[in-house]
Amino acid sequence: MKHLKSWPVWMLMGLIVVALLTVGTTRDNGPLTQSDRIDSITKHIACPTCDGESVYVSRASAAEAIRNQVARDVSAGTLTDDEIIGSIANTFKAKVLLVPRATGVDSLVWILPIAVLVCSIAGLWAAFRRWRRDNSGEASSDDVALVEKLLAEDPTDEDYV
Amino acid sequence: MLGVEGLAGPLGRAALLVGLIGAFFGMIAAVTGTRNEDEKVLRLVPRFATLSCVAAISAFAAMEWAMITRDFSLAYVQKVGSKSTPALYNFTAVWSALEGSILLWVLILTCLTAGIVFKYRTRIADPMVGWAVATMFFVGIFFFILTLGPANPFAAGAAGVLDGPGPNPLLQNHILVVFHPPILYLGYVGMTVPFAFAIGALITGRVGEGWLVETRRWALFSWGFLTLGIILGSWWSYEVLGWSGVWAWDPVENASFIPWLTGTAYIHSVLVQERRGMLRVWNLSLLVSTFSLTILGTFLTRSGVLNSVHAFSDSNIGPYLLTFFAIIVVVSVALIGWRGQKLHSPGTIDSPLSREGAFLANNVIFSVFAFVVLLGTVFPLIIEALQNRQLVVGEPFFDKLAVPVGLTLLFLMCIAPVLPWRKASGELLANRLFWPAWGGIGALALSVGVGATGFAPLLTFALGGFAGGAALRQLVLATRRQGLRGLLGRANGGMVVHIGVILIAVALAASNSYTHSQEMMLKQGVVATFNGHTFELTGFTNESDARRTVVAAVVRVDGGKSYTPAITKFKSMGTNIGTPSVKSSFVEDIYLTVEPPIKMSSKTVKIKVFIKPMVMWLWIGGGLMGIGTLLSAFPGRRRKPTDATSAPVPTEAVS
Amino acid sequence: MNRGKSIRYIAGAAGVLLIAFLVVLAMAKPGESESASSPLLGNPAPVVKSTTLGGGSFDLSHRKGSWVVLNFFNSTCVPCRQEHPLLIDFVKEQKTSDNAVELYTIVNDDSDGAVTAFFETNGGKWPVVRDDDGAISVAFGVAKVPESWVIDPNGFVRLRIMGGLTKGFLTTRLNELKSQFAGGQ
Repeated sequence: MKHLKSWPVWMLMGLIVVALLTVGTTRDNGPLTQSDRIDSITKHIACPTCDGESVYVSRASAAEAIRNQVARDVSAGTLTDDEIIGSIANTFKAKVLLVPRATGVDSLVWILPIAVLVCSIAGLWAAFRRWRRDNSGEASSDDVALVEKLLAEDPTDEDYV
Repeated sequence: MLGVEGLAGPLGRAALLVGLIGAFFGMIAAVTGTRNEDEKVLRLVPRFATLSCVAAISAFAAMEWAMITRDFSLAYVQKVGSKSTPALYNFTAVWSALEGSILLWVLILTCLTAGIVFKYRTRIADPMVGWAVATMFFVGIFFFILTLGPANPFAAGAAGVLDGPGPNPLLQNHILVVFHPPILYLGYVGMTVPFAFAIGALITGRVGEGWLVETRRWALFSWGFLTLGIILGSWWSYEVLGWSGVWAWDPVENASFIPWLTGTAYIHSVLVQERRGMLRVWNLSLLVSTFSLTILGTFLTRSGVLNSVHAFSDSNIGPYLLTFFAIIVVVSVALIGWRGQKLHSPGTIDSPLSREGAFLANNVIFSVFAFVVLLGTVFPLIIEALQNRQLVVGEPFFDKLAVPVGLTLLFLMCIAPVLPWRKASGELLANRLFWPAWGGIGALALSVGVGATGFAPLLTFALGGFAGGAALRQLVLATRRQGLRGLLGRANGGMVVHIGVILIAVALAASNSYTHSQEMMLKQGVVATFNGHTFELTGFTNESDARRTVVAAVVRVDGGKSYTPAITKFKSMGTNIGTPSVKSSFVEDIYLTVEPPIKMSSKTVKIKVFIKPMVMWLWIGGGLMGIGTLLSAFPGRRRKPTDATSAPVPTEAVS
Repeated sequence: MNRGKSIRYIAGAAGVLLIAFLVVLAMAKPGESESASSPLLGNPAPVVKSTTLGGGSFDLSHRKGSWVVLNFFNSTCVPCRQEHPLLIDFVKEQKTSDNAVELYTIVNDDSDGAVTAFFETNGGKWPVVRDDDGAISVAFGVAKVPESWVIDPNGFVRLRIMGGLTKGFLTTRLNELKSQFAGGQ
């Protein structure tokens, strides 16, 4: 049993995961219906009379009108998704851009989360390093034996919670 | 007729005034009694709490009475009442708009305050309890002021009005309106209790573990109600709104989600403080954040600063809520700063690979998540205030950021349950994670086998299987030792909640990535097919009453049961509401909506069909989260004394 | 000892951030203020081809040669109802002037019955154009009603008025536009 949980077996498991993921991500998703394409486009346009709802979500009349327009454009089949979004954004102006552009002040909404994440990870790393420095004592062999004994007794001790 | 009608208004208002007086003097009594250690004054506190509670109940009853008797002398009844609304929806109409919902908040808050005072009636002389009760009264005073000022439900309406439009049509066609708002409010208001005790702990300087242990179950139940409220809201969105989704990152949804995030971090992080006395500042900050975010959320949705499906018209309640939010946060932050010294914990975290380390990482990730959602929600406001132009931050922003965060949290759920306290070795982890890892591989293989694609969803399934394995491992070990009792307690109940979360994550990944839709023109008697299912229009139904007209298309799905997506026209408001019809199964949901207009004579109808995989697992996961919360509330097995590792080795076995 | 101080600093910083955040939120105003611009201004008007409630058909391109006002309307919208008498006055006024401006109502998300009933109750006799699918509204970028659009005799869009009209506003602006584009009469 011990050999079952050894490092080679773990490496094999890792390989299996990579293989499965490769198969899964590289294969074809199946055809998209026109409706799927309309859905995916309308998910990127904001309803101009709502507050942050996409045209896909909103039941407002302006949203429905835009959905119909997208449906017409999609069945005409001449424009790409981006072009369709662009033409609607053109008439309704920036009011229908569902996410802020990554330029100017607007980009803050993208930059701040990344900055906060980076700072937190850095903070965690610094804190762990400081604690490890402070805690570089060694346990005495008696203490180690005591702990091993207790662990052996009851590995599911609710003390773990 | 004049004897009874028209009484609800003045009576209700008087009751609210009495409630305010009760809360005010209750606070005074609690504060002076605690500071002067005056038992006699402290004995007044329960009286005032009861007075306040009874007053709030009377005011709420008066409001319901006015609504039920269709007392149109009140402006609020003129706004949301109607002679043609059915009794049930008329009852719930009380919380369908701003003033009534604040009244509901007051009701729950005063009942909770009275409950706390009753529970601690023998310990009212304890300064921490005294200050906690004073804080709860303080919050109560604020909300009473709201009901007497900007959100007055008993304001007199224009004269001579004989009928009203009824509540928003979306709030009168599904029974969930009975459950979702009150349960959500129980969650919001419930957070006041641990917050009050935290303030009490800070003021008295007893910032050790006592207050945490006191409020553990309150915090857990509030969190549970908040979770259930959010899930019910998603279910309602799915069943009622007709866009076939469960979550739109709408500002109101976000307003409930952000405190949920910090609240979840809190209920995990307190374990570290209970166990090792660490992360005190984290716990206090998370708790203060959770409570103040409920107030901020109320401000964002009620003040009219953001408009959404839920937000009710503008009123001047905004400045009040914003001021209260400011007071709460400034006072809390000042108190934490003042007690800074005492909050220095005795221990440190030895290794990142330990349960403490995992919980700390958990805190950080949840806080970042909360920050991101808050940023996205208020960014339009900030830009408008600074640059006077409008912009929208919608779903794609939140989805792009939530997916990596969600995957990281799933990963934490894989390894944290098997991590021991203090320090883990790679070998120990490898040992314990072996079978859960195979669970992950199994889940991945199964998904690839049934044809799933896409990196993020596949990763979700793999991590879901892995984390599910880790949770099941804990449950199996516990039940092996203790039988069914192994399902009780924080550790085990928590694992059940984790399984619920995993199911929700997997279901969301599946339904968001693999939904297919199709619009079809159905002709009566002609069978159409899509994605392996057949649809046949068999006829129409048309029901009409004083309130609304419902025209539905009867569609037989897969040759079996018929489903009726409909369009409901509410006569008093002239609005059309689309109502979807859903065929649910464990594998997928078939979601039908009908496009207006329905021309029955043409014997054709245009419907849209969504095939949505695994949606039912969202609700099953939600149910498991609720069950797990209940299981966690039970005491687990009594712990061994914690000094075993540092005491001398005993000569005989300790039981 | 250091820990205590650092907690104080962090608390202080949090407090300052919060106050800034509150100031910003307090400055946020509910509702919107819009400028009536559009990328269509100065460009040829979009195609408007539809049927009228009276049973006829309507094609904007056939109206070349006259100034045209398109009024986007919905019978339940309050500002629409409020501006309706002003539109009646406007039409009356135009009947007696030369170089008359034509007014057409474009129905935005409303039923034929409701609109017909509204006009019967409140008066007004001018062509009302259906907008099935909302195609016309989307082409012009009209999300909220009422809106009034002025198109010159050559079919170019010259003015966009968002929100309800006020007394005499439409006539004044039209006169300005007429003299501005006097060449195209």
